[in-house]
Amino acid sequence: MIPGMHLTRIGRDAFLLEPARSLNIRDEARLIEHIAEKLQQAKASCLYYDLAELALIDPVYYAWLNALALTMAAINVRMICIHMQPTAAFSLSGFIAGEPAFETALDIPDVHFTGSPV
Amino acid sequence: MNQKLSEKLSALFSLKIGNISPLLEEPGKIHFGSDSNLMDDDEIADLSAEFLSLTAELLGSQNPDDRKSPEFHALEMFFASLSHKILMRGGRVEEVVRYTQLLQYALIEALEQDSGIPFTESRSVLHYFTSIFNELIMAVFRSYLEERERVLEAQEAELRETATPITEIWDGVLTLPIIGTLDSSRTMLVMEALLNRVAKDHADVVVMDLTGVQNIDSQVSHHLIQIVRAVQLMGSSAIITGIQPEIARALISLNIDLSGVTTRASLSDGLKEAFRRLGIQVSAKAS
Repeated sequence: MIPGMHLTRIGRDAFLLEPARSLNIRDEARLIEHIAEKLQQAKASCLYYDLAELALIDPVYYAWLNALALTMAAINVRMICIHMQPTAAFSLSGFIAGEPAFETALDIPDVHFTGSPV
Repeated sequence: MNQKLSEKLSALFSLKIGNISPLLEEPGKIHFGSDSNLMDDDEIADLSAEFLSLTAELLGSQNPDDRKSPEFHALEMFFASLSHKILMRGGRVEEVVRYTQLLQYALIEALEQDSGIPFTESRSVLHYFTSIFNELIMAVFRSYLEERERVLEAQEAELRETATPITEIWDGVLTLPIIGTLDSSRTMLVMEALLNRVAKDHADVVVMDLTGVQNIDSQVSHHLIQIVRAVQLMGSSAIITGIQPEIARALISLNIDLSGVTTRASLSDGLKEAFRRLGIQVSAKAS
């Protein structure tokens, strides 16, 4: 169990990360290490980051998403942000300069299925 | 409120005020009946009777001068609702205000006749009715302003709707033809409407057609790129079509980076690209 988030296996090699309100991104390094460790143990190749509950993405949160995505890329895991809210997309598009380190998708593709929490 | 005035008002209330009801119909007939045809005679009679009943309740209440009493609030609501009704029927707020003023004179005259009290010698009662009716005229204006605000909001919403005609032309494909001048406020409206539709319809591809756009400035072009980026961040892809040569030249001279943006010459090319991305093949029916 990683504090402030739910990490659920949703297929053979994919995971879903649902951040809770209590997620403390100031503890970035420790959180990223935990997530990377879990995904490596499970031989995951894809991480879906659920942004459904996030109405706004500020530069601090964007930096956290980028840092996580870059670490995931380093261990050969694709990070895909899903369910980004219009308000969050609007705020984010206003300040980012280049391409983000993560991919985006509307939803989790049908090829994955719901599994059990790890 | 002084004791004397309270006693005078109670004395008025104890009169058989039903007798004066027909006298109060006159202002209604003048302003809402005859030529203006906003109310028929029966409705005017009901209106006068209701007004009289509410006035009687106020005058008979514990403190007729209390503007927060339920009796006074009921009278305010009566005038607010009358104002709303007359406006909905095509009347003007001036008619309701003039009716209210005339009603005040008619009520004072009728009460004077019925009670035998010369109000010109009783300034306190006259002052009381004047202040009550001033408040009621305020209620009429408040209702008028609320109604105007509602109409303006509805018109604005309609304008927003027509300014951003987003259509789901195929499952998962949204099209947005933009016609006319794009300014910053309109671009923001487009962005808000489009992003909400992408979320609502789970659209995979958005085709924005600029064929009808004649002018574009630096700020608007940045907003356009921001729309494309926001759509992509939500997990959809955006295609811009119909960029006129002048617009293309303007975008380049403004140093707008179009490298991350898919563009096509026409809306039809944009749709073909959208279908290609979704793996949809459209072909003519074999004869």
